[in-house]
Amino acid sequence: MASEGVLVFVPTSRGRLVRQRLFVVLAIAALVLALVPLVAVFGYIFANGIGSFTSIDFVLKDPPSDLTATGGGVRNALVGTVEMTALASVVAVPVGLAIAIFAIEVGGGLARAARFLVDVLAGLPSIVVGIFVYTTVVVTQGHFSGLAGSLALAIVMLPVVTVSAEEVLRLTPRPIAEAARALGLSRWRSIVSLFTPMALSGIVTGVLLGISRAIGETAPLIFTSLGNNFFGIDLGQPMAALPLLIYRDALNSAYEAARQRAFGAALLLTIIVFGLNLLGRWLTGRRRLAGSRR
Amino acid sequence: MNEPTAVPALAEGLGRFRRRRWTGDLTFRSVLAVVTLLVSIVLAAMMAASFVTASPVYQNFGIVGFITGSKWAPSFTVYGAWPFIYGTLLTSLIALILAVPVATLIALLLTELAPARLRAPLGIAVDLLAAVPSVVYGLWGLLVLVPAMRPLEQGVAATIGRAIPFLGPPTPGPSYFAAGVVLAIMIVPIVSAVTREVLAATPRLQREAVLALGGTRWDVVRTVTLPIGRAGLLAAVVLGFGRAVGETIAVTLVIGNSNNIGRSIFAPGFTLASVIANEFNEATETLHPEALIALGTVLLVMSVIVNAIAIAIRNRFTGGTHRGF
Repeated sequence: MASEGVLVFVPTSRGRLVRQRLFVVLAIAALVLALVPLVAVFGYIFANGIGSFTSIDFVLKDPPSDLTATGGGVRNALVGTVEMTALASVVAVPVGLAIAIFAIEVGGGLARAARFLVDVLAGLPSIVVGIFVYTTVVVTQGHFSGLAGSLALAIVMLPVVTVSAEEVLRLTPRPIAEAARALGLSRWRSIVSLFTPMALSGIVTGVLLGISRAIGETAPLIFTSLGNNFFGIDLGQPMAALPLLIYRDALNSAYEAARQRAFGAALLLTIIVFGLNLLGRWLTGRRRLAGSRR
Repeated sequence: MNEPTAVPALAEGLGRFRRRRWTGDLTFRSVLAVVTLLVSIVLAAMMAASFVTASPVYQNFGIVGFITGSKWAPSFTVYGAWPFIYGTLLTSLIALILAVPVATLIALLLTELAPARLRAPLGIAVDLLAAVPSVVYGLWGLLVLVPAMRPLEQGVAATIGRAIPFLGPPTPGPSYFAAGVVLAIMIVPIVSAVTREVLAATPRLQREAVLALGGTRWDVVRTVTLPIGRAGLLAAVVLGFGRAVGETIAVTLVIGNSNNIGRSIFAPGFTLASVIANEFNEATETLHPEALIALGTVLLVMSVIVNAIAIAIRNRFTGGTHRGF
């Protein structure tokens, strides 16, 4: 560091080379520094959680009613997470796509207003989304429910789907749109049969990233689906979810059994999220190649 | 014989075709418009409902009184948001100070220095940091990071902390500082991704000119990339701040949960998001749920302002072609 301070004031090419080298070293150090937590977190969760994966009971049994007791599994949380995320996707994907297509193909004041709302949503803390759903759905219904949790997750997913769909739809080449018009194809026809298929892998990537975002969310579920220690698929009842289970057991991590369950569930959740994420990115990578061939 | 009959038939067919095309487009547009309108109304109504639910608190303490009130005591029906606003700003600031230099250097490494073959995999590795669920960071932070950092905190508190109370005791482990470190880890990929995008957009010609004049890569960064990408870097920083402000579960698990303003950065505290998450399900006192929702509206306004600033900076920089993040 001291030598660098001296060399800064010597305008020779050697000084510049030293600074260049220092820059490279610092940049690599920064990358290593940032990747240390990634390796540390995943390594730690893996080392501690893999023990839970040795028995199939981990996904076939529910947690014991006494959270300090060992044994049992996370079936209720896994099923709740899958069910709520699936319902959220069924709502968020078509709606998110509709807004993206509307913003691009129709435009106007309504489109701008909706896009502004989506931008606001994209930056909104997910816990605020939970409050939105609590003050409307939960208060109106009078109780927590899987349905409210699904709605909160759908709102979290929506901006991810819309923003990424809009990005890829914008990339569809203009000459193709013009050719479609010249051949007498109606606009909705060209959107449904031309642009959407062309942008499909990009849209799917957005959907997968949206799902991987929603599936790991805890904050919006705390006061919508609440969590449930029992197995249930009724969306009208409070519903368990993997992140909620990890959160509860982390708060009780002084107990060995709760800690172990949290590790196992965290590993399961992380693997699901990483899998969805990498699958989405792999699809985008392929899209570029396919696009250039078209 | 055929011609006179063919032309009207063709015209009629074309007319029907046009009509169908027109009704098809109209239906399609209407469906899209109705969906978009409905979603906008629902979202706007939800925002409005939060403010309405929180309004008794604002009426009771006044908007300014609620925001600047430094005492939060549900059992005495006294609600002031300042300890949590302070915690939110302090932890986010710590996160930015730690994360921005690292994220910027990573972005420079991936756009200027790394071999083309390595860029994509390294970029994905950094992006995966953003994919780790918040609660998993919280679990790791609580069980590994907090205990690991405690000797460091105690060391600083025992030496520098004697002169500066802000860096002094108490050092129980969970603290504003621990939350700031976890937040820093979580926002590095966001800041780095936006910065990368901005830096990649700087003109190739000028970079090559610097190299042709015998400049090093660092000279390129110093004279071209950073000056041109300044606004974009600022947008990335603001966006990272917005993300840090709203982060909930990871912070809740490592900040120590205290209603008071900690004197030191090593003291336990609360952020807006973490106090809501921590107290909501046990909020039974008078006005307590409403006060927590009021904290949510403060968070909502803060994040809308922060994100609007980031979007404005970036739109100016990219000429408005990129909307949303």
